[in-house]
Amino acid sequence: MLFWVIAAILTLGASLAVLLPLAGGAKSASPSGDHDLEVYRDQLTELDRDAARGLIQPAEAAEARAEIARRILRLDTAGPVAGSSARPASAMARLVATAAVLAVPLVSWGLYSQIGSPDLPSQPLAERLAKNPADSSVDELVARAEAHLAANPSDGRGWDVLAPVYLRMQRFTDAAAAYRNAIRLDGDSAARQAGLGEAIAGAAGGIVSADAQDAFEAALKLDPANAKASFYLAMGLAQEGRDKEAEAAWQAMLARLAPDSPWRGAVEQALAKSGAPEVASATDAKGPDAADVGAASSMSPQDREAMINTMVAGLDDKLRQNPRDPEGWMRLVRSYVVLGKADQARAALGRAIAVFGAGSEEAKKFTAFAASLGLTATE
Amino acid sequence: MVETGHFALVLAFALSLVQTIVPLFGARLNNQRLMAVGGPVAVTGFALTALSFAALASAYASSDFSLANVWENSHSLQPMIYKITGTWGNHEGSMLLWVLILTFFGALVAAFGSNLPASLRANVLAVQGAIGAAFFLFILATSNPFIRLNPAPIEGRDLNPILQDLGLAIHPPLLYLGYVGFSICFSFSVAALIEGRIDASWARWVRPWTLVAWMFLTGGIAMGSYWAYYELGWGGFWFWDPVENASFMPWLAGTALLHSAIVMEKRSALKIWTLLLAILTFSLSLLGTFLVRSGVLTSVHAFATDPTRGVFILCILTLFIGGSLALFALRASRLTAGGLFHPISREGALVLNNLFLTTATATVLVGTLYPLVVEALSDDKISVGAPFFNLTFAPLMVPLLVMVPFGPLLAWKRGDILAVAQRLMTAFAAALLAMLVTALFISGATVLAALGVGLAVWLVLGALTDLAVKAGLGNVATGIMVRRLLGLPRSVFGTALAHLGLGLTVLGIVGTLCFGTEKILSMHPGETVDLSGHTLRFAGIYPAQGPNFSEDRGRFELIGPAGNPVGEISSAKRFYPVRQMTTTESGIKTLGLSQLYISLGDEGKDGAVVVRLWWKPLVTLIWGGALVMMAGAAMSLMDRRLRVGAPSRRRKQADAAATAISP
Repeated sequence: MLFWVIAAILTLGASLAVLLPLAGGAKSASPSGDHDLEVYRDQLTELDRDAARGLIQPAEAAEARAEIARRILRLDTAGPVAGSSARPASAMARLVATAAVLAVPLVSWGLYSQIGSPDLPSQPLAERLAKNPADSSVDELVARAEAHLAANPSDGRGWDVLAPVYLRMQRFTDAAAAYRNAIRLDGDSAARQAGLGEAIAGAAGGIVSADAQDAFEAALKLDPANAKASFYLAMGLAQEGRDKEAEAAWQAMLARLAPDSPWRGAVEQALAKSGAPEVASATDAKGPDAADVGAASSMSPQDREAMINTMVAGLDDKLRQNPRDPEGWMRLVRSYVVLGKADQARAALGRAIAVFGAGSEEAKKFTAFAASLGLTATE
Repeated sequence: MVETGHFALVLAFALSLVQTIVPLFGARLNNQRLMAVGGPVAVTGFALTALSFAALASAYASSDFSLANVWENSHSLQPMIYKITGTWGNHEGSMLLWVLILTFFGALVAAFGSNLPASLRANVLAVQGAIGAAFFLFILATSNPFIRLNPAPIEGRDLNPILQDLGLAIHPPLLYLGYVGFSICFSFSVAALIEGRIDASWARWVRPWTLVAWMFLTGGIAMGSYWAYYELGWGGFWFWDPVENASFMPWLAGTALLHSAIVMEKRSALKIWTLLLAILTFSLSLLGTFLVRSGVLTSVHAFATDPTRGVFILCILTLFIGGSLALFALRASRLTAGGLFHPISREGALVLNNLFLTTATATVLVGTLYPLVVEALSDDKISVGAPFFNLTFAPLMVPLLVMVPFGPLLAWKRGDILAVAQRLMTAFAAALLAMLVTALFISGATVLAALGVGLAVWLVLGALTDLAVKAGLGNVATGIMVRRLLGLPRSVFGTALAHLGLGLTVLGIVGTLCFGTEKILSMHPGETVDLSGHTLRFAGIYPAQGPNFSEDRGRFELIGPAGNPVGEISSAKRFYPVRQMTTTESGIKTLGLSQLYISLGDEGKDGAVVVRLWWKPLVTLIWGGALVMMAGAAMSLMDRRLRVGAPSRRRKQADAAATAISP
């Protein structure tokens, strides 16, 4: 509401700027001859000064004086411009004046209604962070925590709370920094080291790098039963192509894990996956390469999602052209599930089964794999 | 507040349309009321644009990420100064700054133009309004900084780290004041063409505007050059980069305009040429804006894939340059030519100056546009760099610089070149001496270096000779001389200062290019290195944390002759996590007029760091000279004759005419 009042006042002011000169009494303007005369007169005095200073020779000065005098004479014969103010405004002038006065509100309100967002208030960051936490989005809460930590960077507990939130928001670089701060300030713990490792791996697009491995090993040293660390270390082995060792590690985990452990499903799934020849399929339908991963980790969440979507679409395309690639199909199904596109996941599963035949060995594997992801084939 | 700014921008656009059309009709119909509309509308338009700009700046200051423009170019952790300068550190915001300055100058004409003939004033404001309307439309249609995001993101994407520097606070505003200042000269020229005649007061009005624009452009280019020097970490001060050329071309043409306007103002000669030059100068400013803003420089093809902005600017360019030149072709023949002069005279010298400067402008233009043409036609990407400009631009500049001291000493209408040469003997002898000293006593001096030093000395002493001669040195007693010196018009001092500044800049360039030394080496902490007589000890690398970056700062100690540290220089590599970008902060220590320049390279495995060191003798004179040139322009602006031109009602025009005719 306030905005519309301000807009109306501004429009009024702008219209007045047009209206007042049109309505006001016409000033008697000095004819342009007067202006010229003043200039010529000044040129003459300046000429005298220049001549006195020797900047122009006497003969040339006289010549120049004659030139200026001739211009003044020409000015007089041309005659002063007839005073026009007394003349009544022509119909044309009245038309232009009316159009101008109308144009200001019409153009401004017309254009603004097309491109403006009058209902959207300003949202200064400080104001958004100061409002009631219950009304805030997750993003705003995180921003508030960040502001708190920027002011009190030695609050280890704050970092400890924020780090897993970052992890869930897929802000892996921030998560890694937060875990490092928590470890530095509040000391080592298995959960923090394992979290750090997961963050580093996440930032690298799921690749368990040497840094991540160090973190997981540190976690295991503190708590040999840490499931996350064991799981990722085995994943690292698998990524290095040491499938047998990875499988052995996962099997050992299954034996140790409590029956209701949330890691059980993940381990079974990983075991199911590692049975296929990972390396061979990498050439057929390759996942993101190192450059892609590097790019992904530096992106905003929106961009990253867009990139993942294009990569999945690319995989889908490849499988259309080269369908006999069971590993690729499983990766595609899994990708769709992860992206939350259950319909497409189901469609992909259906296509995969169709390629290899409904009763085939692969089809059974697909169905089992899909079931482990919580997906059932409709066809 | 944000939407108020958006609405004010739209309203300013509506007013600029009125400002274009109504005064134009008023001048045509000779209707005082219609003509009078231009003034208040121009002032109101400026106030609205300023409101709009303030709204955007405050959105930046308060990190209002509901604006897409703020979200893209700001971050809540940035220091406040960079939050605010970020307002114009991007395309949309900088275009808003552009029109803000444009409307500001229009408002100045409206506020102080009461001594202009009414129809000239109306036409000038109309042309100014037309330029404004075109750019407002451009902003609203293709580069609107007030586009909103809903829901608003919680954090921005940060300003490009290279722009997070004090240079951004100064360089673009100065440069735009220069670019856009020439729009007034352009408007005056087009107004004169529309009217079909040039009033005698025309030149008196155009010259101060040219001076103002030239002064700011000089400052803007110098600031840009210094910024590139310390921020990019290459130690160079001019790269002949197309973006630099884009600002240099209007400067060259503007310098020519400045000089031809003197002739026009004093002798009413060179009218038509001055008019053309004013049009060309602003056209080059527009071209500069186009080159930098349309993305055509990055790649002609990138431009072709997203052409909305580029095509829009191209249309503006065609409309204003093509339109004004067409008008010039139609109307120039109706304008009367002015006073006569001999080839060897002040006028003649200024014509020569114009000849050289316009040729130099054309050279830079070719060097800048040729790669674009080649890329558009043949897909080859070539770059025209320093070698081309050294071969073409330098040979044009040297004779011009040699002639500079002659100009101000030549008499109007008919000059005596021999008498002037005699007066310049002292300066010439000193320049010769400087050359000999350089060649004989400074190790490593080449013939070119000696000539360069001689040229600089010649320029500096030539400017001082001008003052001395005009004060009557040698002819009159000291007391009278001082009185005469103080009584000289300010514009004489302005000329001398500007030419002196030019000499200083030349000296700085020659000193840096010919006597500078450079070293690249890998250093361990504790090691020392000698560079042109200065000993530096590398103390080590220290990590530090900034508000929105982390840095590795390398500290160096300057060791005095006694072996004790006498100063510290530090250079840093900064990492900005939001944009994942690394920048180099060069370390600079000014010693007298010279500088030690350190740039940190990559860190090796064994703790060694690659360090680039430069010794840049007299380098500060390059920008110091530009400051002196600016001071010269400011001095000229204060000259009393620039305030004349209004009819005073004290005297009757008849008796003025009578006194004028009787010699």
